[in-house]
Order: sequence, then C-alpha cells, then structure tokens
Amino acid sequence: MVRIKHRYLLINILYPDPKSTSGRPATKPGDEVPYTVQFRRPSPDRMDGGVLTRLIRDGVAELYGDYGSGKVAGSLQVKYFSQATSTAIVRVSRDYYRLVWAALTFATRLPNPVGQSCVIQVVRVSGTIRKSEEEAIRRARLSIRRAEAAAKSSNAATAGLAAATPQLLSTEDDDADMINGIEDPDDPRDIEEDLDDDEG
Amino acid sequence: MAPGRPAQSPHDGGGGNTNRKRKDAPTNPQHNGPNKRPRQHIDQRQKMRIARTLSTQTTSTAFQNGALDVSSFVKSRAYEIQALENGLQRSKKALNERAFQQVPKELRRRTASHNVKRVPKRLRVRAGREMAVDNTPTVTARRRKPSGHMRLRLETVKKLRALGAKRKAEKDKPKDATTTELLPKDVQPGTVTTAIRTRIPKVKKSLLATPPVPKAKFRKRQIHKSWLPTHLYHAKRARMTAPSAPIWRYAVPLTPTAKSYRPTHRASHDRGAVAWDMSYMSTIQLEGRESSVLGMLKAIGVAEEDLSGRKSNKWRAGVRVLDAFLYERESPHELIAPVTMVWCVYDGTATVMEKRKRKMFLRVHPSAFYQLWEEMLRLAKVAKPAVSVEDLRFEIGSIEITGPGATEALLGALWPSSMASTSNDASDAAITGMDVDATSDHPRSESVGETWQKLAGLTNPALLPQNALLGFNVQDPRLHHPPRTIALLKSDAEQHKLLEISASWPVDAAQKACDIFDRKARHSASTSLPSQKAVNRRKGLAAPGEYPQALPKDPRVPVLLYSSSNATPTNSSKSRQSTAHNGSWTLLAPWKCLQPIWYSLMYYPLSTGQQPRFGGLDQKRQLAFEAGKPWFPGDFPGTKAGWNWECEDRRRRESEWRKRPRGKRVSYEKVELGGGKKGEVGVGWACDWERLLNVPPVIEEAALAGIEDIMDVDGPAEKAGDGTTPAEKAVEDNTKPAEQEKAKENILPLQATPKPPQLSQLSARQALALLASPEAKLPPHINLTSALVTVRLTLLTRGVPHPCARIYRLPTNDPDLRRQWLALLPSNLPHKKQKGSKHALPRLPKDASAHVVQQRLAQSLLEPPRAGEDKYPACPAEEDLVGFITTGNYDLGEGQGTGIGSLLVDRVRDGGAESNVYIVRNAGTGLGRLARWEVA
Repeated sequence: MVRIKHRYLLINILYPDPKSTSGRPATKPGDEVPYTVQFRRPSPDRMDGGVLTRLIRDGVAELYGDYGSGKVAGSLQVKYFSQATSTAIVRVSRDYYRLVWAALTFATRLPNPVGQSCVIQVVRVSGTIRKSEEEAIRRARLSIRRAEAAAKSSNAATAGLAAATPQLLSTEDDDADMINGIEDPDDPRDIEEDLDDDEG
Repeated sequence: MAPGRPAQSPHDGGGGNTNRKRKDAPTNPQHNGPNKRPRQHIDQRQKMRIARTLSTQTTSTAFQNGALDVSSFVKSRAYEIQALENGLQRSKKALNERAFQQVPKELRRRTASHNVKRVPKRLRVRAGREMAVDNTPTVTARRRKPSGHMRLRLETVKKLRALGAKRKAEKDKPKDATTTELLPKDVQPGTVTTAIRTRIPKVKKSLLATPPVPKAKFRKRQIHKSWLPTHLYHAKRARMTAPSAPIWRYAVPLTPTAKSYRPTHRASHDRGAVAWDMSYMSTIQLEGRESSVLGMLKAIGVAEEDLSGRKSNKWRAGVRVLDAFLYERESPHELIAPVTMVWCVYDGTATVMEKRKRKMFLRVHPSAFYQLWEEMLRLAKVAKPAVSVEDLRFEIGSIEITGPGATEALLGALWPSSMASTSNDASDAAITGMDVDATSDHPRSESVGETWQKLAGLTNPALLPQNALLGFNVQDPRLHHPPRTIALLKSDAEQHKLLEISASWPVDAAQKACDIFDRKARHSASTSLPSQKAVNRRKGLAAPGEYPQALPKDPRVPVLLYSSSNATPTNSSKSRQSTAHNGSWTLLAPWKCLQPIWYSLMYYPLSTGQQPRFGGLDQKRQLAFEAGKPWFPGDFPGTKAGWNWECEDRRRRESEWRKRPRGKRVSYEKVELGGGKKGEVGVGWACDWERLLNVPPVIEEAALAGIEDIMDVDGPAEKAGDGTTPAEKAVEDNTKPAEQEKAKENILPLQATPKPPQLSQLSARQALALLASPEAKLPPHINLTSALVTVRLTLLTRGVPHPCARIYRLPTNDPDLRRQWLALLPSNLPHKKQKGSKHALPRLPKDASAHVVQQRLAQSLLEPPRAGEDKYPACPAEEDLVGFITTGNYDLGEGQGTGIGSLLVDRVRDGGAESNVYIVRNAGTGLGRLARWEVA
C-alpha cells in the first residue's frame, strides 16, 4: 500500500500595520517594547484555524481557479494555530503544497470577520508534523532569547540615555540580524546557539 | 488541537488504555444499548486524535488588555514550547506500544506478552492494566486446562506412575521380609549395610566412552547425538544444530536467538563477558611413567624444546598448560589438531623423574578426537612401560569465558571449598589408592583457592603468566545462587597487590595434584550433589541476606582453570599489538557439575552492568577471527577434520546457491576475470584446493558414469562447455527432472569425502622457519608442493573478503600488470599520512581557499584508478593463484575487512620484494583487492 504523503507548512503571521492590530504597545513611556516583540504580534481573538483555512482556500481559488481549489481541498487542514504567537501548521498533500504556499504568500489581508492587513511567512516545509513542531519549538526559543536580550539592552539604554531616543537605539541594537525587517532564518549564529542548546 | 476548540490539555490515562492488543469486534451502534458497555469505550482513532491535538492559548488570555509587553510575549512563547513538546511526547506514546515492548531487547520474552509476571516489576502494573483492558487474563501453566493431545499424554503419565508405584511396592515388600529374617537379632541393621559393599566396577581403559544415559524423557532425542550439560539452557535461547544434523555428534548451540554480532564483540573487548559451554571438547587421559608419556608425545610431534627444554619446566611440573600441534606418527605425518596438554602435579615421593607415575590430559577438538585417539592407542601399545589411555569425554565438561568481566563472573560462581573440610573428606575416602593417600598428606587447594579469590579486579587473564593454571575444589554453586557482585578493588594498594600476585604467581609453589585428575573425586562430586530441594531448604534456614554455612559434608567439586591469551605466536603484526590481547579462561569440571556452575555464571550481575552473554559456535569463530587466530577445524583445510568441515561447508553453500532462482544467484560461469577470461576459477562455492593442486576432482567412477548417462539428456551443446570438468557439469544445472536431482543427491556425499592425499598443513612455527630461510630444515616427509600455511590477510584498500575468496600473488609473468597493481599500494601514493578514510583523499575544510581546491583537483587527477573504473588492473591469471580465504568478514576490531586463509607455501616462497602483498578476489566477482598477509 502506498502512503498518502503530505507536506506540513509552518507559518508565521505578521501584522505590519500597528494601528489596527490588537496588541498595542504599552502606553506607558517608561517601558518601550523592543522591535522583536512588536514584529511578532499576537493575532486577534476572532482569528482562528477556520479563518486561516478560508483564507487559503479563497486564495488558491483566486490564483488557480477551480483546478487549484479542487486539488488542494481534499487534503488541506490546519493542524495547529496559536493566536498568542500567530504560529500555524498547515497540512497539504505533497503534490500541491506549492499552490498553498503561493496563496499564503499573496495574502495581504485576513478575511472578513477579522479584516486586517497581514503578511504570512512560510518558514518551514517538512514531510512530517514532528519536524515542523520541532522547528516551531526552535523558533519560539530563539524569539524568547531575542526578546530577553533586547529587553535587557533597552533597559541599559534607557538608564544611560535620554528617554526620547531609546526606541531607535534599541532597534539598531537587537535587530542587527534583520535585513529590511525580515529575519534571516538561517543566521549561522542562531543555528549554532541552537545546536549548543540541544547538546546541553 | 482543532482550531475552534477551547484551550485544554488532553489528558491521557498513563497510556494504558490506548494500547490495545485485542481489537474489539465492530459493534452495531443501533443495538449498542447502554447496558451493554458499562465502561466508556473510546476507539483508537479518537485516542490518536486526542493525543495529537496541541493546546493553544488565545490572545486575550496571553496578553492582558491586549497590551504588548516583553514578559507576556515570552510567556506565550514558553507556553507554546511546552504545548508542542507535550504533543511530541504524547503522540509518541500513543503509538501502539505495550508494556512488554518497552523492555530492553535482550530481556524480551514471548511469554511476557501474555503473562504479566514475566514483565519486569516496574512495568507490571501497567501491563496488568493493559491486559485487563484487553480482557485477556493471565494464565499460568499450572492452572491451564490441558487440552487435546496434552490431556492424552497426561493420562498416560498418570497410568504409568500408578503402575510404577505398584511395582515398586511389590518389589520392596518381600525384600524387607527377607532382610529382617536374615539378620541376626542383636545386630543393628545399619552396621550390616556398611559391611556389604557393592563391588566397584573396574574402569575399562582404552575403550571409547559411552555417553551418559539420559533421563527417559529425553532419551529418544539423544540417540544419535549427546546433549551438552547445559542443553536445556541453550535450547531455549540459542539456535541449535538441526536435530537431524548434529555437529560432531553433539547438539551444539550455533548462535543466540537474539542478534549478537556486535554485542558479542563489545562484551569481549570493552565491557562484559562471553561464555561458551565447550563440553564437546574431548579429553583424553594418559597415565603412566613420565618418561614413557613423554616418549609418546615425542612420537606424535611435540617439539623437543617443549619436552625437555628449560622453558617448559613449569609445564612438566604441572603448573602450566601447553598448546601444541600433534601429528600422525606414520608417514606422511599429517597434522591432526592443535591440542592442549595438562600434566597433573606429581605429589608422590619418587625422586627419579623416569619412575614417576603421572597423569596427563589431552584436550582436543571433537572433530579430530577419533584420529588422535587411534593414534594414542597405537602408541600406548608399544610404549614401555605401559601407558594407559582413557577417554574422558563425558566425564569432564568445560566452559570457556572471555572478556573483561570474565574473571569477575568466575569469581562470583566459584567459591573455593574451605580447607577445614579437607581432612574429614580425606579420612572418609581413605580406603582407596595412592591418589587419596596423597590428599591426606597435604591440605589441598588451600592457597590456590585463596590466590584465586585474590584475583578480584583482574580484567584480562593475559596479565597472568602465560598459560597459567589453577586447580582447586569449589563448593556447590547453587548454595550461592543467585550470585552477587563481588567486592572489587578500590584502593591503589589493592591494585598493587594484584600486580604483585600476577608477577610472583604463588600458585606455582602451592599447586597440588588437582582432584579433577582423580576419578574418585570426580565421581563423588557428581553423585553427592544434593538435590535442589535440599539446597533450597538449606538456603531457607540461613539468615536473610546470608548464604548458608558451608558444611564439612558438602560436595567438593574439583575444577581446573587455565588462562589462554589470544596472542598469536608470530607477534609480528603491528596492528595486533595495538589492540589488547584479551585472554580467556577455560574451566574444566566434572560433566554433571557443569550445569550449576553455568547457571551461576550466566546470572552473575557484572559490576559494569548486565550479565555475561553466552555464545555459540558462530561467536567462537567470530572472536577467533577478530583475534586473527585460525579456528580449528575450519581454517585448517590441510587436516582431516578441516577437510571434512570444508566439504560440509561446500555442500551447504552449494545448496544455498541452488535454492535461488537462476536470475537471482551468482552465475559463476559468467564472471569476468579480466584479460578476456570468463568463468570462475574452480567451483564458485568452494575453496577449490583440488583445482589449486591440479588434482582431478574425486568422484567415484560408477557414480560419475551414472550421472553422465543422465546428462546426455541435456544435449551436446552444454557438454561442449568452456572446459569444465564433468564433475562441475554434474552440479551446474538445476532445471532437471526429479530423477536427475535424485541421482545428484546420491553423488554429493561421494564427491565430498576423500581428501587429496598430498594436501598437508604446516604449523605456524614450521611456516615461519621455512619463510625466513628457504633452505630451512623441514621434516623430509613434508611435500612442499602441496603444503598449506595459514595466514591472516588485511586488505590495504577498501573491500571485505568473504569465505572462498581467491588469493593471488602479484602477477609473475606480466610485468605491466604487476606495475599497475603496485601503483595501487597506499604506500606508493603521493599523499601518505592522512587522517580519516584511507580510501579517499582527505576531506577539505568548508572554507578551503581556491588554490587548495585547485591543488586537490590536480591531486585527484593523479589518484590511482578506483575499483570499477576501466583502468583498474585486472586480476592475475590462474597460474598466480596461491590459496583461498577460509574465514573473511568485516573486522569490527580493525575497522576494515580482514580474512584468514591458507596459501600454498611453495608458491609463496619465491616472492622477492613486496612479497607479502597479495591480491584477494571474492568468488563470483571480477574485482581484485590488494592485501598484506602474515603467518597466523
């Protein structure tokens, strides 16, 4: 018997427009939120796996028509969606995962009940859900480490400098590995750190 | 988690309910009333789904008031990590794994799958729960209802028992009456019985021993073979020889049922121990004047320096063992087998060496036993004064154990008898002859036993003096069963003491005549072993956690221990030197006492964890191969036993080859040997010594004629083949009618039996002498043109030699080809010392600069041709064939392919430079590999 083969896409949803998002930076002037934290905002409460499925289905139908939606419909499933971290794992059949990927890449706005502009990154494509889960864990660890490092440096910065400029300074500091706001997924330093963690 | 569902962590009840063995029958939901299933039933798919859903957090719970801050950001990620990790764990557990499947591989038992009590304690509760869920109750053999055939058998047993009891009652009755009548009234019955003593049967010497009569239950299964003392242990755990095809008339364990190639290697080299029941090794006892025994040994080919030299003084004194090759006395003085010889220490008073009456054990492999036995009988007849020869085959059993934990395990099993009981024992048995008289003079095994106990902490018996020997008496091992880990050395001072003992070796002075040479002691030890019930009672009486006290009446089991190191006699190989020589212990004990010793050994908890492993014949061969030592008989095709082994192997390989369909087996006739030659040299599944010696293959004329008649059916086309002999033809085709198959089966054993008369085997010593100086003196009877020498081959490049691989010397008549082969030598390559794989250029670092890469490119152009490329040199011609590999494999110790084979010494001698570089080609392939050889 031949196994039905799937691909699992690990997805991050980013909300570039700060005004309309649910997670607003804290208004108190003292603790500014570092850029890494701002970059990965939580999804609004109304957003869930069903909405994501609809988004993908509509996107595929728009880009590839009936053919595409027919090919994808049978196997498409959202395996995991976490609102607090805006991370999702989507399952598609192996032959047509590119259609879904394309639909995700071209998506600019979440569908109607949410209705918010967004950017969707596909950060990992894997053959087993296990590997994509492991990757999600790795990325979560990484972002925790970054956020903590950023918070520390920003605190140091606020202590040393005037209150007017810390945000600018801190962004320069902690997001050195961001190029144009997009994180380099395979930054060698991060990977090495991660390997060390695994061994320890 | 399905996205819409509220956050919750799915709970799994310990994994017990998810793993069901017995699947439920599909139930009809309409008829499934509430009273039918009291327990809520969740099916496997749903279980899996629950196990696989991941819990999530909503934004509103994670971030208060939707405010973005670092701490809640970090917390939400941490929650995600936790959820994903839990999910990974849960989905792994949700796989169908039952409790008994979690046990380590070597502990898994089939019975554990349906008997909770067979599972280790920590898993028992879970296993019980699983069984309850499955509704499969644990049934013990005792409570099982006998069914069908078994019931019939039990009924018969019951009837027979009743019959036996009746007969016994009848037999006992009149006897009692007569004895009471016969006895005088005033005499106690007990005293009379001591007065009437049964006559001790005279020991018949010079007769082959008969195997012990097995219990009636097992008698039918041992008609054509004998079981080893530990047969029941092995039969449960090892692949034995087929009932119809015993080896050497014994049921021998071939290999453990569990996978064991690597574990055996590890246990014998790194950690642990491997033990074999070697009771099939035959023992012959010689008894007579020392001078005449020595004379016999001389006649049978023991070297002069061993018999009278100063070096072997200790052997003659009886405190060392000697390994030597024995030869037939008559010309052509064929090699019989390597034999281990042990003298009994002389305890008598005669000072003149010639007048001493002494005993000696010869231990020989069973395949060569009969040959040696005949030879000894013949020699004993002419020896003056007479020497008696006795066959001790079923009287003395033996265990061999190797590995770092071997000494420790033996120490746990062998508890020397306390010397206090010695005097009692001796006075009890004082009626008999000189052997026992000797006992009463000296308290025996006093310091030998003590020295033995001081060897705790010894990890390699090779540390002791070579071939050291310890003879002492031990207690019944069942008194100390289950064995406990012995106290090991802790301080440096203790270590130092151990070194001191091994250097001074006090046993040399303390060793007395060992009881195992004494028939009476052997016999009394075997007969006076208490029943298991009595042992259990004694153990029950002992204080908790303590072993029962030794009693003076306890049986004293005589044992003889000797160490042998794996050091090859040549010691020339550098690679061998680097790997530690791992010695092994050989334990001789009375046949019937062996089984309890074996159990104590096998259940000994080693200080390094686990227990000693047991090995079969395959493991024995494997370890001999890894030590670079030839294994008798397989690696000695020049001996009679070795030839028989080779014939058996041939038949086995041939039948395996034949079993495969044509398209899936090696077609030997199509092998390209290079230079336009086609077809395997000789028979592909054999080490074809006949072909090497140019002897026509031996087939009985009549049988051959019969086959030829049948072969004519196949037509003339096949007959006019490429010069194959009729014998090969006879076995070439398998698509024949049944009658031809039958004819072929008839012919096979005939074809196998006779050994080419000239073929002979040189011992390592002779071979080394011969190779060192071509004019070396050799016994005149040795026919140099057909003498074989056993060698060890190490491949210089890649590849693994297999049994039957052909060995060629470098081409002698083709200088061009010879040069091509020599160019492949690793020492002739431009890049010499390199790390990593020896088969390719060293790996470049990732950030290698451009010029380095370029250099590498140039280097790779100069690389010698690789196997399979067109430029790879062809195999030499048949005139350069010198021998065959008898054992070959990937050597785990060396990390590369090595082999043990035999070479025709005549073709080896005139080598010149590079004389030890040869070419090995596996049978059925056309690819040669360079190898270096040395005498093994």
